[in-house]
Amino acid sequence: MNRIYEELFIVKPDVLDEEVDTYVEQLRTQLTTAGATVDKVDKWGKRKLAYRIDKYREGTYVLFQFTGPADIVREFERRLRVSDQVLKFLTVRIDENLKRLEKRKKARDKRAAKRAANAPASPAPAQPSMAQMMTEAPGGPMPGQPKGEA
Amino acid sequence: MAESRSSGGGGGGRPISASQRPTGGDKAIAGGKKTYFRRKKVCRFCVERIDDINYKDVKMLHAFVAERGKIVPRRISGVCAPHQRRLTDAIKKARNIALLPFAASY
Repeated sequence: MNRIYEELFIVKPDVLDEEVDTYVEQLRTQLTTAGATVDKVDKWGKRKLAYRIDKYREGTYVLFQFTGPADIVREFERRLRVSDQVLKFLTVRIDENLKRLEKRKKARDKRAAKRAANAPASPAPAQPSMAQMMTEAPGGPMPGQPKGEA
Repeated sequence: MAESRSSGGGGGGRPISASQRPTGGDKAIAGGKKTYFRRKKVCRFCVERIDDINYKDVKMLHAFVAERGKIVPRRISGVCAPHQRRLTDAIKKARNIALLPFAASY
């Protein structure tokens, strides 16, 4: 059973950028050889930490998204734990949430289509507002890259 | 509307406003001219149709933690129960990965 996971981890700030890149590549190859598919790797760059971890006040955030069976996570987390570059990590299983979001979006689209079909008499006032809502909805939930505060 | 207001003036406002919430919401919006001493709160996630309350969206989460880093209660922020549940989850995840503080210091 394949699941989708998200792994966000913090690398020590004094680790060089290239080293982070090589480390990320290492992890990526490790994942693919273990049988997972890496969907996304996102380096957020250096960010201030909300609290001190091991006397560090900032860190480099890296986000992995991968699909694979459950036992892959254990190995991946073990690697992160063993590595002395990584300050902290967080694994989140997101497939159920993604499924839920998709379902909600579908229901919403259906409802909007129904409404548009039901009220052709007054399309002018109703339609633009609905269209606006729909364009807003997908834009909203996308997690903005929190680089602005870094 | 008038009677609920008079009773609201008498005692603690919280149970009354809570019982008003399901029915009185529309009325309060419709009769916007009447200036209540307490504004009707609406759930931001319902209004803006935000389905995904993501722990990575720090900017959004910041609006729902107090200065000291505490999660703002529903009765203050007006967030509906299902969304507050997801919001709490997201904030706690964000805390775990140092995106939000457990307790902010001055």
